[in-house]
Amino acid sequence: MEFFLHILISGIATGAIYSLIAVGYSITFSTMQILNFALGMWVMIGGMLTLTFNVMFGLDLAVTLLALIVVMILLGIVGERVSVHPFFRAGSDVWVMSTLAVGFLFINVAELIWGRNPEPVPPFFGDGIIAVGAFAIFPQQLLVIVSALVIFLALHLFYYRTLLGKAFRATAHSSEVTSLMGINTRLICVLSYVITSVLAGVAGFIIVPITFAEAQMGTVLGLKAFAIAIIAGLGAPRGILVCGIAYGALEGLASGYFYTGIRDILGFSLMILVLFLRPEGLFGTPSSERA
Amino acid sequence: MRYFKTRAAIILAAVAVPLAAAPGAGMADTVRIGISAALTGPAAFVGVSIRRGAEMATDAINAKGGIGGKKIELVIRDDEHNPVKTVANHRELVEREKVVAMLGTTNSAAMLATAPIINDELKVPVVCPATDATKITENKAWEQKKDNYVFRLGMFGRGQANFLINTLVKKFGYKKVGLLTWTAGWGVTGRGELNRRLKELGMKAVADETYDTADTDMTPQLLKLKRAGAEVIVNYGLARENGFVARTRQKLRDKTPYASAWGIAAPAFWKAAGKAGEGIMTSTTIAMDGPQSPERKAVIDEYTRRYKEKIEGPPFFFAAYDIVHLLAQVIGKVGTDPNAIRAGLENVPEFKGLIHHFKRPVFTRQRHDALTEEDMILGRWTNGELLQVMYDGSGPHVVTGDGKKRYIDTKTLALK
Repeated sequence: MEFFLHILISGIATGAIYSLIAVGYSITFSTMQILNFALGMWVMIGGMLTLTFNVMFGLDLAVTLLALIVVMILLGIVGERVSVHPFFRAGSDVWVMSTLAVGFLFINVAELIWGRNPEPVPPFFGDGIIAVGAFAIFPQQLLVIVSALVIFLALHLFYYRTLLGKAFRATAHSSEVTSLMGINTRLICVLSYVITSVLAGVAGFIIVPITFAEAQMGTVLGLKAFAIAIIAGLGAPRGILVCGIAYGALEGLASGYFYTGIRDILGFSLMILVLFLRPEGLFGTPSSERA
Repeated sequence: MRYFKTRAAIILAAVAVPLAAAPGAGMADTVRIGISAALTGPAAFVGVSIRRGAEMATDAINAKGGIGGKKIELVIRDDEHNPVKTVANHRELVEREKVVAMLGTTNSAAMLATAPIINDELKVPVVCPATDATKITENKAWEQKKDNYVFRLGMFGRGQANFLINTLVKKFGYKKVGLLTWTAGWGVTGRGELNRRLKELGMKAVADETYDTADTDMTPQLLKLKRAGAEVIVNYGLARENGFVARTRQKLRDKTPYASAWGIAAPAFWKAAGKAGEGIMTSTTIAMDGPQSPERKAVIDEYTRRYKEKIEGPPFFFAAYDIVHLLAQVIGKVGTDPNAIRAGLENVPEFKGLIHHFKRPVFTRQRHDALTEEDMILGRWTNGELLQVMYDGSGPHVVTGDGKKRYIDTKTLALK
């Protein structure tokens, strides 16, 4: 039992990282039906900015976070303008490639600026551990779990309690009708891309002490998060939170009770199976209702 | 028209002058040694250590008048850890830059790809300071007993696995060995070598765990190793992931003795692991901290003066330093014909390097690995320093900076 719980705790901590990243896919998908395929690389930029502001410039964490959000907003606006807007307007699917291209550009630029050696970023609450009996967790891991919960709650409130959130949902339902109702759908599109960008940056900020800052820190994480977003359903943020944590726990248990190499086989097989049986995802609403 | 002519002439001149001047510039009065290594990219700290080792050795030799009056000139190329570029660089270094000997790169796969081209076409000796795949020196030419131009002064895979397993089983007395290896290139070959050695000793790993680059929490792996009753865990991997292993050990309060291949024998490991790295051991060719010989100390001090930092990859820096000295000694004796240098390297009866004082032939025609299992050492990370583990009647111990002998508790690797 102790073995099981140890693995479960560390699996949930890892899963919260996936959830935190995966939610970004859903925001642009529900408004524009597009994805930022390179989300992992945007997370990496968040990590690198944390390294720069916090470690290199010695700014404190609050200032680091603020500066990081400003940079991510700007990057989000520019990113949407160059890699989504031109193709989206023309009704083309080229954004699949162009968002990825931006991601690879980020990796190369990051290698040029920060080099390719992994750089440790100190955990926000020091090197200690939080221990309860035989069990322990790093404060940073706990922060990831709490942040994931807070961000999902905030998103939920935004979607259902604010006018802007309702405009988001309306745009998701039908961009044309919403536009006829006098809502600036173009602005909604840019905003959703910017929110995705900021969330990715914040995710990078929170996880970088766990992964270390390096140009490839988000690549595999982004891919796993994508699988989770597909399994949960791209239009279902709450499902993504649940699935991300469950996925992390399953990965841990698979390596604990079988062997490490089987994790990705299980995970991606699960994704294909879900796509086959429930293309809208486990928590998604069938697209006929949405369209 | 006239404008175009002038412009064409300028362009022609701009292209032709360096073309005429570059290859073998001053070839007659210098001895040219080539290096292709990753100076950028994930292995840059290895490549930069090689370059700095070669440069400091070159400066030291040139300051004393060079080789019989001729100065050494290094020709350095970046291959970005990319095998295609390594092959192209070696070709360029030999065919265009006319180097008479070379230092090998940072990537085993790249060196494996380059070795047949060196032996079949380029025929200029290469001495490798970093790449440890066994087959680099025991290549096709070696199997066919033809002239082999590829040498190594560093770790080699089979020897390192033998050394690690032998030391842990025979000197530390562990009977239950667990493995924890990285699923990327180097870790995979290492895992094979470790399992092979265990089998040769009539043993079997009690658990054989792996991790990949995305793993930041190693709880499942470490708990499985503990459950299997591992008395020691042997790793093949690099600094970053081993930093995560160390931190997870700290979280689980797991004190199982832990030893790795030389991927963590550099300061990057302590940077990644912090205090959680205390007591972790690694095989290596040189431990730069703790008491040093005067010759080594002089070079370490000179390095600190020049670069204002710690040596990032000590095994590679010192190997490159030794290789340039060894080549200078051989070239001084046999001249600059590459084939004569190859034969000369196989006939150095004694060599006092910084990594090792060879009191036997450094290489022979059949043995192109300068270091044998007996020359490898075990280091213990002790308060941020990598100290060499030594043995006496009372067991393994390290000597700390203040000259005190501290014995190692083989149950936990803590200092007594």
